[in-house]
Amino acid sequence: MTRPTAKEIKAMADVTGVPVSADVAARIANSIGPAFEGFAPVAGTLPFDLEPATFVIVQAAKATKEAAK
Amino acid sequence: MSATELALLSLTEVAQAIAQKRFSSREVTQSCLDRIAQWQPRLNAFMAIEAEEALSAADAADAALAKGASRGALHGVPLAHKDMYYDAGKVVTCGSHIRRDYVATTTSTALQRLKDAGTVRLGSLQMSEFAYGPTGHNAHFGAVHNPWHVDHITGGSIRMPAHFCGVTGLKTTVGRISRAGAMPLSQSLDTVGPLARTALDCALLLGLMAGADPDDPTAIAGSLPDYMSATKASITGLTIGIPTAFYVDDLDAEVARILDETVAVLKREGANIVQVELPDQRQLTAACQFVLAVEAAAFHKRWMIERPQDYGPQVLMRLQNGLAISGVSYLEAMRWRGPALSAHLAAIAGVDAVIAPVAPVAAPTIAESDVGNSPDAEAVIQRLTRFTRPINYLGLPSLALPAGFTRGGLPVAMQLIGRSFDEATLLQIGAAFQRATDFHDRIPKSA
Repeated sequence: MTRPTAKEIKAMADVTGVPVSADVAARIANSIGPAFEGFAPVAGTLPFDLEPATFVIVQAAKATKEAAK
Repeated sequence: MSATELALLSLTEVAQAIAQKRFSSREVTQSCLDRIAQWQPRLNAFMAIEAEEALSAADAADAALAKGASRGALHGVPLAHKDMYYDAGKVVTCGSHIRRDYVATTTSTALQRLKDAGTVRLGSLQMSEFAYGPTGHNAHFGAVHNPWHVDHITGGSIRMPAHFCGVTGLKTTVGRISRAGAMPLSQSLDTVGPLARTALDCALLLGLMAGADPDDPTAIAGSLPDYMSATKASITGLTIGIPTAFYVDDLDAEVARILDETVAVLKREGANIVQVELPDQRQLTAACQFVLAVEAAAFHKRWMIERPQDYGPQVLMRLQNGLAISGVSYLEAMRWRGPALSAHLAAIAGVDAVIAPVAPVAAPTIAESDVGNSPDAEAVIQRLTRFTRPINYLGLPSLALPAGFTRGGLPVAMQLIGRSFDEATLLQIGAAFQRATDFHDRIPKSA
């Protein structure tokens, strides 16, 4: 995972339907870039059978144990 | 006790005093209104002050109590809430120009439950535009000023204002309190929680607001712990973990000193203190940014197209950040949330709670943090919220407690971070800490 360039962000914003100027795209790239670097060790490493609802299952498992105390 | 001092009592003290008819709801409400009138010009803390309605409601509460009819645990107790909780028939600005005149058609479940317990509405409180900012700056309604030093910021949300302003705040587990009727920012991360003087106050408010709600399927069902009883228990034998890294790195020297002092108090109160090695928190922070940015942009997309000029510069900038994250990256961040929580819970298996600073510094000045949409704005925001973002992503509860003061007189809070849905242990530790200290009772000298 690499941080998106201003040019790529401008294209993405256009596709999303919220067009931004080149200056704004450059500012977004500067703002959000570090998050891409922070998430890079995780990106592309997740197992196939993992879905977002796993979070609720992990939460609920702990909640059940707490309730049983 | 003077009328002015009534407003300085804690929520639980006021509730007891009214129930026992030592003070009337009118006396307490008038005391609060007097202080609001005194401070509002300097602090800009309220969005709307509803003095006449509040006094009428207080009189009604007193009349009902005289007939032996108490509505609940907060009968006649004056309260205010951030201006993002819908109250049918009332304007709810969400701190924005876009919703400056928006009249809510429903009432937030959390607010309704507090009303059902008998509260008196004082008005609504200032906030960052659409709750998208950690400082308290607002491009439309002006900055909110810190009561300890009016040139400094107050923070937004729950733990940051608790830290910067010297009060107690409980960020609840995602799913603990219904979000129905609360303005959305990020459906995966949003939580509702109290800001009050003490952990005991937070326990009372949590017990009233928490629980299942047919209007919010994410609010979990099941019986609730007795939070008030939890605050009475000793912490002897509990184990509290201090992170070995991240939360103790690059701290302002005074925050580091107060962390050490807080740990010493907890140890004296009987807690075992151990070091705990947490998974890489930088990855959690990044994942949190992905989720927040995309979900906020999705909520605001229509207005970003139709009314971009009606946002403050910083909020628009942060909303636009969400445009740079692909659907695949967003979903990776969401898919990783379960394993990340699982890894965190495994890391803290041997402790009852983790203690950490809320932020690496005390409240900065308004001038130095008013960065608008400048190139370094996001970096300034990220530095302030460095210790709250990972917990937001994991959806964990965290109790922010006043823990000391800088030599310049600014409050500093520590956060106790718990397991999912285990707010009771945090309140237990927090109440024990507050029995041993008086930081939560202190008020600004000029007050």
